Amino acid sequence: MKLRKETIEIQEQLGAYCRTGIEQELPGITPGRIHHYRRLISNVVNDTLRTAFPITVAALGDETWLLLVEDFFSAGVPQTPQVWKLPLEFYQFHASRESGKRLNLPFLDDLLYFEWMEIEIHTMPDRPYPDFVNEGDLLKDTLAFNPEYEIVKLEYPVHTHPVREARELKGEYFSLLYRMPESGNVQFLNLSALNVYIITRLQEEKVPLNEIKNEIARVAGIESGRYLDDALTKFSGDLLERKMILGFKEK
Amino acid sequence: MESKAGMVGLGLRRDIAEEILDNKILTPDFLEFAPENWMGMGGAWLKVMERALEAYPITCHGLSLSLGSPEELDWEFIGELKEFLDTYKVAIYSEHLSYTKSKNAHLYDLLPIPFRQDAIDHVVDRIRRVQDRLERPLAIENVSYYTPVAAEMTEVEFVSEIVDRAGCNMLLDVNNVYVNAFNHNYDAKDFIGKLPLDKVAYIHMAGHEQVEPDLIIDTHGQPIIDPVYELFEWTIQKMDPVPVLLERDYNFEDLEQIQGELTQIKGILNKHWKLAHETA
Ligand SMILES: [Fe+2]
Repeated sequence: MKLRKETIEIQEQLGAYCRTGIEQELPGITPGRIHHYRRLISNVVNDTLRTAFPITVAALGDETWLLLVEDFFSAGVPQTPQVWKLPLEFYQFHASRESGKRLNLPFLDDLLYFEWMEIEIHTMPDRPYPDFVNEGDLLKDTLAFNPEYEIVKLEYPVHTHPVREARELKGEYFSLLYRMPESGNVQFLNLSALNVYIITRLQEEKVPLNEIKNEIARVAGIESGRYLDDALTKFSGDLLERKMILGFKEK
Repeated sequence: MESKAGMVGLGLRRDIAEEILDNKILTPDFLEFAPENWMGMGGAWLKVMERALEAYPITCHGLSLSLGSPEELDWEFIGELKEFLDTYKVAIYSEHLSYTKSKNAHLYDLLPIPFRQDAIDHVVDRIRRVQDRLERPLAIENVSYYTPVAAEMTEVEFVSEIVDRAGCNMLLDVNNVYVNAFNHNYDAKDFIGKLPLDKVAYIHMAGHEQVEPDLIIDTHGQPIIDPVYELFEWTIQKMDPVPVLLERDYNFEDLEQIQGELTQIKGILNKHWKLAHETA
């Protein structure tokens, strides 16, 4: 290390002041200027997080929101060189510190996670598309899924209800987030646990719906027959229309 | 490699990227990317970037290397950066002579390095190692700063020795010189006259905001003021042609005004760098 211990300490003192606002005795500074660094840095962090979490900001109100930001800013150790990924670290920071529990906001993790996942799906690297054709049979042919999706599991339905109501509805909720071909816009779809099971199995087995029909019937506790066929046709047809299913794999 | 000398470019911020690409008013010669804001992205942003790359030559201006900080360089990030610069064949990559990390935490803004001999030795070593890894020269930018911290020499001594010894290029930000000269009471021309101008590979121009009677903040949100144009015109007569970038980070309502700035910069270049313009 070519830096003297004293220089390192001075540099770290400036950094610490910027993060915490606690005044440091810095040698050789122009009076009245140093606070601009803290202001500029906290503007960057604030703006980045506020833009990433509009629903959380609106749901918590400014006072609580700023508390979370301040806590992260002074005690968090942002690791990403890419500031647009900072919201992920903000979510992880508060999840690991159980801020939601501490502040009596049990839905906080879900809310931050859900808002981050929208950014994640929008920005993540492209995934290879499968080959597919447009014509086919929803039950008899293998479906070609849009690969750019994630299924998010939530404890509170923050994706469908205002937080006031969501906090009373603890349970198990699933939302499918996927990227539209061409536009890259993110779409959301609420799923039941059975829907999640069907999508996951189809992706794993890469077979037509007909081949896992009996298995689905067993899991759902219903008879495999006309009623199930209709339901599966409707479900997969809907995904096709929404471009979560792109088409059909060639035989 | 295509020379960009004498070209006048504009920064491509993500939030206004589509506007920059779609409008018919702005006609920059090249675009500048912050690699951190585009690396590892797919979807719509990748498409925007590819459109920009198809339409314009590009340069890259980094944000997060933190050349001046004590902790070890982030080699994983530098590896990804190299891949990005290689993929898009970026010839000019610049970074700030500052630090953005403290105790291993990113702060996302530019803190002033103490102007001291040990800091020079440290930064020189780091620039060399980064250049080796990236297999291309860095252009190091003089940053604006609002207070010196524990300085044991002047800024120009600090900057010049680093550029001399590191074997790097320099990105001369003319607005930053103006801002610093104002904020710290020194003579801007005297400062520029003492720089190794033969190492300048790239120039930044920008607007700023005076927030107190004796303090200017380098905001990149306002039009360039006349004294900065004058300093620019004075400076370019002392050096060979290089590309020049207009940094504008926000206030994009009036594109005609921004195009006016590009035109004004170009006019000054053409007055003094005629040959370069014709061959660029
Ligand atoms: Fe600059």
